[in-house]
Amino acid sequence: MRKKRIAFFDFTSCEGCQLQVANLGEVLLDVLDIVDVVMFREVMSEKTEDYDIAVVEGSITTPHDVERIKEIRKKAKVLIAFGSCAAIGGINGMKNNFDLDEIKKYVYGKNAGYFETIKTSALDQVVKVDYYVYGCPIYPPDFLKVLKHAIQDIPYTTKDVAVCAECKLNENECMYDKGIACLGPVTKGGCNSWCINSGNICYGCRGMVKEPVKNGCMEVLNKYNIPVEWITSKFNMYNKTLESEDKK
Amino acid sequence: MEQYVVLNKNDFDDFIDILAKLQKLVAPVKRGEKNYAFDEVTSSSEIALKYIPTILPPKKYFLPQNETLVEYNKKQNKREGTLYSEPLTIFGVHTCDLAGIQCLNIVFSDRPMDANYNLRKKKILVIGLECNEYCDEYASCALMHNQYPNGGYDLFFTELENKFIIHVNTLSGEELIKKMGMIKPASEEDMKGLEQLRIKKRKIFKPEIDISYSNLHPLFEKSFNNDVWNDIGNRCLSCTNCTNVCPTCYCYDMGYDTDLDMNSGSLIRKWDSCQSRPFATVAGGESFRPERAARQRHRYMRKFNYAFDKYNRYFCTGCGRCSRTCMAKINLKETINTLIKTVKAEK
Ligand code: SF4
Ligand code: SF4
Ligand code: SF4
Ligand code: SF4
Repeated sequence: MRKKRIAFFDFTSCEGCQLQVANLGEVLLDVLDIVDVVMFREVMSEKTEDYDIAVVEGSITTPHDVERIKEIRKKAKVLIAFGSCAAIGGINGMKNNFDLDEIKKYVYGKNAGYFETIKTSALDQVVKVDYYVYGCPIYPPDFLKVLKHAIQDIPYTTKDVAVCAECKLNENECMYDKGIACLGPVTKGGCNSWCINSGNICYGCRGMVKEPVKNGCMEVLNKYNIPVEWITSKFNMYNKTLESEDKK
Repeated sequence: MEQYVVLNKNDFDDFIDILAKLQKLVAPVKRGEKNYAFDEVTSSSEIALKYIPTILPPKKYFLPQNETLVEYNKKQNKREGTLYSEPLTIFGVHTCDLAGIQCLNIVFSDRPMDANYNLRKKKILVIGLECNEYCDEYASCALMHNQYPNGGYDLFFTELENKFIIHVNTLSGEELIKKMGMIKPASEEDMKGLEQLRIKKRKIFKPEIDISYSNLHPLFEKSFNNDVWNDIGNRCLSCTNCTNVCPTCYCYDMGYDTDLDMNSGSLIRKWDSCQSRPFATVAGGESFRPERAARQRHRYMRKFNYAFDKYNRYFCTGCGRCSRTCMAKINLKETINTLIKTVKAEK
């Protein structure tokens, strides 16, 4: 069997997720045993048009992005949305809080006219996506799982269970017990609650569970005397993109 | 061998030192500001003798969260059952959690018997510890008849002023005591002290809810269509915490994990929870319990109704963990109180 050829692409993003792959260490060698990486700007300069699996980082934020992702989709047999920017819009979605012309002026000043911009989209709002790796940055064990599924052409679904579940299994003291707001209860797990394990809160970087419950959340905020704005501002950081539009 | 022996508190440090050298020792330790967890210890200074129920119950040692059941290798045409376990002593298990372990024992020795659970259990030595007072307001151990020791341990410690009275319950417990030179037989006075403590406890520990033990089952039988489930369902976040922390919840999921070589791999068993939507979702996307209300009702019915039908025993120990951990304030004692009021009103 010919090894699957993998190409990495980046759109609007910090490329931090690709860096996570470059940082895999020893496991990366095992990965290279089973796939051919044919394009990976982070560590090599070669370019090619011949690939099976496109691993795409970043969100769609310009008309040019739209054309480019459609081209990639045409050439790739399998497309993986890689990291929060690609999978849910991520940080770039904050742009959608503002009027596009206004925010363009704010960023580019008098040169705003030279730049085209559109509302931030997650990849699957523009093209069909086969696999998702959530997280900002991606959680490496999660990526390896998805990759193994993609190579074998087996579907993969991230389980629709909140971060709290893993957090409890790690026996962390709950942030709410310390009077700190945490997005764990409404955020899709799969990261092994690594932020909370290291003393941080959950920022909701993996996107929401399918059915977040509003009145339940209000109850929680009430119980712990936490203003609702604390939650909405944290929430808007990663989750603005998918709020308005439905997925394709 | 005496059934009851005594350890002076002065000798407790030595006792733990020896215990920790014999085999891996776990005990309650402080975790954060208000919480406790069972964790490995090597000296008595790490152990919290006064603690409220740990975040996870000791079930994590009997039924690990991630357990490899089978390992396979396609090229070698191999597929073998595996058991990873080590001799372990759990010190300081409260009576509610002893009851929880007993529940799991019943389930996993029922047919088809779970080999991994039972083989692992054989290597675990359990040392109980009596609560002389309540842990906190979430407990309902007296209602569930779990405030006193009722088996399920090798040794059981009761703290009296300057000593521990130890009940020796099994041969393994007896052998362990023989290795501890500092332990003496209990005197008549010691036994009186133990009796007095139990008398005192009778005044402190009273059924926390106004219903008798035997009436709980009929109450839940009549509660299937009660409004309380909708009220709870409206608030529940489906975070799954209440089930993960419950000492008697044992549901699990299984899945294959292939190694990167795409040749070898393993079959893994993981804890699962009826509170998550995927739990009761089947092929085609249909779910048996799409509503949170139905999922919460299911949790309660599993504790007070279905398990009672099957094993003639409640699967709630009264440890209070589910209420303590719930961010949405869903409280077991409140739920039962509401049921008592509303089911009566219906009659
Ligand atoms: S710390 Fe956050 S993720 Fe963990 S249990 Fe609490 S709310 Fe959930
Ligand atoms: S802990 Fe509370 S909010 Fe979470 S699933 Fe249980 S009842 Fe619902
Ligand atoms: S249902 Fe709640 S109180 Fe009862 S055993 Fe489970 S966690 Fe403890
Ligand atoms: S529920 Fe009862 S037995 Fe359990 S820790 Fe609290 S007081 Fe002790």
